[in-house]
Order: sequence, then structure tokens, then C-alpha cells
Amino acid sequence: MFEGKYYNGRTSKGMPAFIILEPHYIRINWQTDSDNGTEVWHLSEMHKTEFNDATTVLEYGTFPRQSIAVFEQGFQQALEHKYKGATFLKSGYSSFAKTGVKGLLIGGLGLLLVAVALFFWGVPALAEQVAAHFPKEYEHAMGEKLYEQMLEGYTVDSAKTVALQKYLDALEVKSDFPIRATVVENEAVNAFAMPGGFILVHDALLDKMEHHEELAGLLGHEIGHVQMRHSTKAMARSLSHYMLLSVLFGDVSGVAAVIVDNASSMYSLEYSRKAETASDKAGLALLAQNNLNPKGMVWLMERLNSNEPEFLKFISTHPRTADRIDELNMLIEESKYKTAPNPALETAWEELKGE
Amino acid sequence: MEQTSTVLETPVSAPTLSFKGKGSELFGIQIVNIALMLVTLGLYYPWAKAKNLQYIYRKTELAGSPFTFHGTGKEMFIGFIKGMGIFIALYGVLIYGSLHIETDPGLYFICLGIFFAGLSALVPLAIHGMMRYRTSRTSWRGIHMGYRGTLGAMYKVFLKNLFFTVITLGFYTPWFTANLRKEIFGHLRFGNARFSYEGEGTELFMINIKGYFLSIFTLGIYSFWWAKDLIKFYIDNILIEQDGKYSRLDSSLTGMQYLKLALGNMFIMVFTLGLGYSWVVTRTLAVLINNCEIIGEFNPDALAQTEEEYKNATFEDMADMMDIGII
Repeated sequence: MFEGKYYNGRTSKGMPAFIILEPHYIRINWQTDSDNGTEVWHLSEMHKTEFNDATTVLEYGTFPRQSIAVFEQGFQQALEHKYKGATFLKSGYSSFAKTGVKGLLIGGLGLLLVAVALFFWGVPALAEQVAAHFPKEYEHAMGEKLYEQMLEGYTVDSAKTVALQKYLDALEVKSDFPIRATVVENEAVNAFAMPGGFILVHDALLDKMEHHEELAGLLGHEIGHVQMRHSTKAMARSLSHYMLLSVLFGDVSGVAAVIVDNASSMYSLEYSRKAETASDKAGLALLAQNNLNPKGMVWLMERLNSNEPEFLKFISTHPRTADRIDELNMLIEESKYKTAPNPALETAWEELKGE
Repeated sequence: MEQTSTVLETPVSAPTLSFKGKGSELFGIQIVNIALMLVTLGLYYPWAKAKNLQYIYRKTELAGSPFTFHGTGKEMFIGFIKGMGIFIALYGVLIYGSLHIETDPGLYFICLGIFFAGLSALVPLAIHGMMRYRTSRTSWRGIHMGYRGTLGAMYKVFLKNLFFTVITLGFYTPWFTANLRKEIFGHLRFGNARFSYEGEGTELFMINIKGYFLSIFTLGIYSFWWAKDLIKFYIDNILIEQDGKYSRLDSSLTGMQYLKLALGNMFIMVFTLGLGYSWVVTRTLAVLINNCEIIGEFNPDALAQTEEEYKNATFEDMADMMDIGII
């Protein structure tokens, strides 16, 4: 028998009561100055009781609920002993609480690990997914801003740019975006593909080329990056935490601004081996589509593979060039086709080489 | 049993308020909550919230008896889904607009307009729905709270005050806040006890003017005292009428206490990488509630059940998503 207070659900006056735990129900004998009575509580209609401390509170029945409060420490244990497995005593939360400090520590560390994993892996992956679904116009507008930002650090070679664009126009290209290529003065043998169809070619790379098929291969490769949104995805991935911040602060339109403001990150973007291989294939496909010699891709790789120091930078951000050449040769063997001369391309090429 | 009845007699309980929650206990609950939310991709949220509220209410005591939160995850889940639907639609409009910000700025501003109009139309609905649900699910010694305001009156108060706030470029905000609280507390019931709110916009305006300038002069240090004044404005102006007798809530919170609380919370959050959030919650509630008392003739033993049963949780989570914390 336990002492406690009984509340009848009609007034807040606590009535002194004795609580008796019978085998299948709880009996409550309450008494006030003017009145007394007995309540019988069936276990099935008792409400779940959780988070009890020195006081145990039990509730019963439909609205308005009756309740009892027992201030004796032993009451909770007596309940658990007497009604083992009863629904109103079941609580996953209380079970976890019983694991004590050990449970809290393990649980806390587990959550910390999950948080770290989400931060370093989940957020970039999510950003990449979002970037892959940017609408085309949005991506193009973003790429244009990025391109303008990039050009600020360069001197454009307008004559070569005109010639390159002419070459590009003579090529048969399949792309979701209008492709715009620009030649800039720079000694590094390099080229960039920006989101939305903007391609930047360093003049040093053009100078090294000996066949126009190499240029076609390069353009095909870069258009492949554009088409498969490699740069958009890679930028979103590397800037994902800034993007998250801008979204958290309620600035949804800030996502593009983050990318544009960090145009310099274009230089350090690293594409995966898979992305490079896919773009190499796109280069081959472009050559095939225009009936150009597929060896153009291989020659392009060989330019990159020669041992001149300025090439090192380019090579280091790409998968091993020798492997790529092997793979290209394999692909060329697999699908042979007849090549045909293309006077329009050759004219533009000669113009570009200044001959 | 005759002889024991005198032993069990207790005097009328003093209406003291206290918070007995522990950070470690709440942390144990949060771990289970977060784990289950991860597994269910967030769908567990309403159940997690119900469990949190159940714990916090259970550890909040008036006159030595705890409050009870009767809300369930199941009830709130339906509201959660509806609220999410509305929010996703509104955000969809906003995102659609911002994708066209370059090509069609006009469209962007239309979308922005729809977003904010939709949001401000939702606020009164969310407050009303949340008050109705939350109060009906709150009881103490079996006596339920209740909210008797109407949606129409809430819209009237909200839109009227919003209008004045907009045309005064925000200067009317303190009156907006005070009038909204008058509308809300004026319809709040605790059994047969009725609440009202006596704070005036002018008072709040003065608190803000004083707080703003003194914070600037003291390089921000006064901001803790400013926050303390705001809390006291929110709490001390709450009146309770019971059987014709009036009592008032009173907070004895000091600026120094608030400073310790705020800085302590900040350190906890930073040094535990956010894992200490449970301690932040319990510390905050302990400071707010333990410093709060009821002054007057409020008799906690003389409350009578007056409210009908009510079931509708649609806007509980909506208010949550809009970050409207009223009580």
C-alpha cells in the first residue's frame, strides 16, 4: 500500500489516497474532509507513464483523465515488479535511459560520427545532386557570369578567338548549350570548360598542336565536360559548405552567387578519373561524328605527355596520360570508320595557326 | 483508515513554479530522437517533438505537481505533413522565381510577392491552430488549459497591426507584439482561471529604445539587460483571474543571470559542436521558470475543469517551422 494524491479530473484539489496494487488492477481509496470513495483502475486503460522521478504520476481513462501522484521512491519499482510487461510501463526512452552514462557516451559519439560523415560526405554529395538538376538557362546564366569573372585575369587573343569560333561553327556538335570558345594568352598548356558551354583555351596549347584533329578532340573533350556537367558538379561539390550556409541564411538565390564569387576555384578543380574517361570518349565521338581521324585524341594526349615542365601542372590534375592513351587506342580499334577531309575545318585551322 | 486521514491532510499548496529537468536526461531522449529521425529520413520528427514536450512538461512543476503534455506523434504527424506540403509549395514558388532572376526579374518579384503574402497569411492560422492544439493538450492535475480565441479575430488583429507596422516602416512593431499577446492571452484558459495580458506597446517601445542606445554605448554589454527587460515584459504582464481574484506572474530574472545563461549556452554549443543542445534547453528553462512566481491569491487547489475535448494538430508543426515560439 502506498500513500499519494488522487485527482478526479474535475478539480485540481488533491485528495489524500491509499494506492493498492492488486494483481490485475490498481485500487485507490481516497478521502477528503467530507467525502470518500474507491476507484478501480484497469491496467488496459492506464496511460503510458514516462520520465518519473521522486514522484510517479499515473493517468487513467478518457477525457478528463483521472490521475494519481505518489511521492514514495519504491512505488515505481513496485509497479514494474507487479505489472511486468504491461503496456503503460513500456518505454523505449526509459530503456535507453537505463543504459546510463555508457549509453549516453556511445550514443553521443555515434551521433557525432554521423554528423561528421554527413558534413564531409553527405553535404558535398547533396550539392552535386542539386547542381546536376539546375535548369539549363540557370546553368548558362551562371556560367556566363563565371566566364566574365575568369576573363578578368587574362588577355584575350581576339584574332585567334574569331578563328577558333569559326572552327567550332564548322564542327558538327551536339550539346545542350551554345558553345562559346575563347583563346587567351597564357604559357601554361591548359584549357577549361565552364558550366553552360563556355570554353577557355590557352594559346600555348594551340601552339603545340600540329593537327587540327587534336583541336577537334580537345573541343570534344571539353564539350563532354560541359554536357555531363562535370564542372558544375565539381564546383558545387567543392563549394557545398558555402552553398549550405547561403541556403541556411535563407538566400536560395545565393547558391549561384557562391559559385560565381569563387571563380578562382576553377583552377584547382579536379575531375575524377571516371569523368576524364567519359570526356575522352566524348572527344572520340565528336571526331567520329565529323569523320575526322580518331588519332586526333591520341596526338592530343601525346602533346600533354611530353616532358616539358609547363605540362606538369596540366598532367598532375589529370589521370595518368599513358593509361588514357592505351584506353583511347583500344576504343579506336573497336570502332573503325572512314575518315574524310573537311575543307571548312582546315581553313579555320590554318587561320588559327596564322599560316 | 479513520486515524490516518489527519496525517494526510496538507495545507493549501503554494503556487510556486519550478523546472526539474536535467540536461543528461533530455540528451538521452534526443539521442533516441535523432537516431530514429535519421533512420526514417526525418518523418519521425512529430514523435520526437511530442516526446521532447512530454519530458519538458513533466519536469515543469506548479505547486509541486507536474504539467502533462498529452499530444502524440500520431496527431502531430498529420499536421506535419500538411504543413510540409504548404511550405514546399511556397518554397517551390520562391525557388522557381529565383531560377529566373536573370532572365525574367519581373517573374522573380511576383514569386517573391506570392511567397511573402502566403507566409504572412499563414502566420495567424499557425498561431491560432497551435494555441488551440497546444493548450488542449496541456493539463495539470488533470485540469486542461484551453484557447477560446477565434480565427477571424486573430486575422483581424494580425492584419490590422501588420498594416500599421508596414506603413510606419516597422516603428509600430512593439504595439504589434503587445496587441498580439493581448489577443492570445485574453483567450487563454486554465480550467476556470482566465488569463489576460496587460503589457502596452509604449512600454515595449521604451524598453527597446533604452536597450538599443545603452547597448551601443556599452559596446553590447547592456544587450543582456535589454533581453532581461524583454523577458520581464513578456512574463510580468500576464494576469490570472480566478473566482474574481487577480494574480500576476512575476519574473525575478536579473541581467547578470541572463548574461551567465547566454554566455554559458554559447560556450556549451561551441565546445560540444552542438551536441550540448539539451543542456542549453534545460539551463534556459530552469533560469526562466525557477525565477518565475505567481503573486496574488491564486489558489492552485481550486481549479475546475471547464474545457471540452479538442483534437486537431494541423498547425502545431507549422508554427514550429515558422519559428513562432509563443509559450
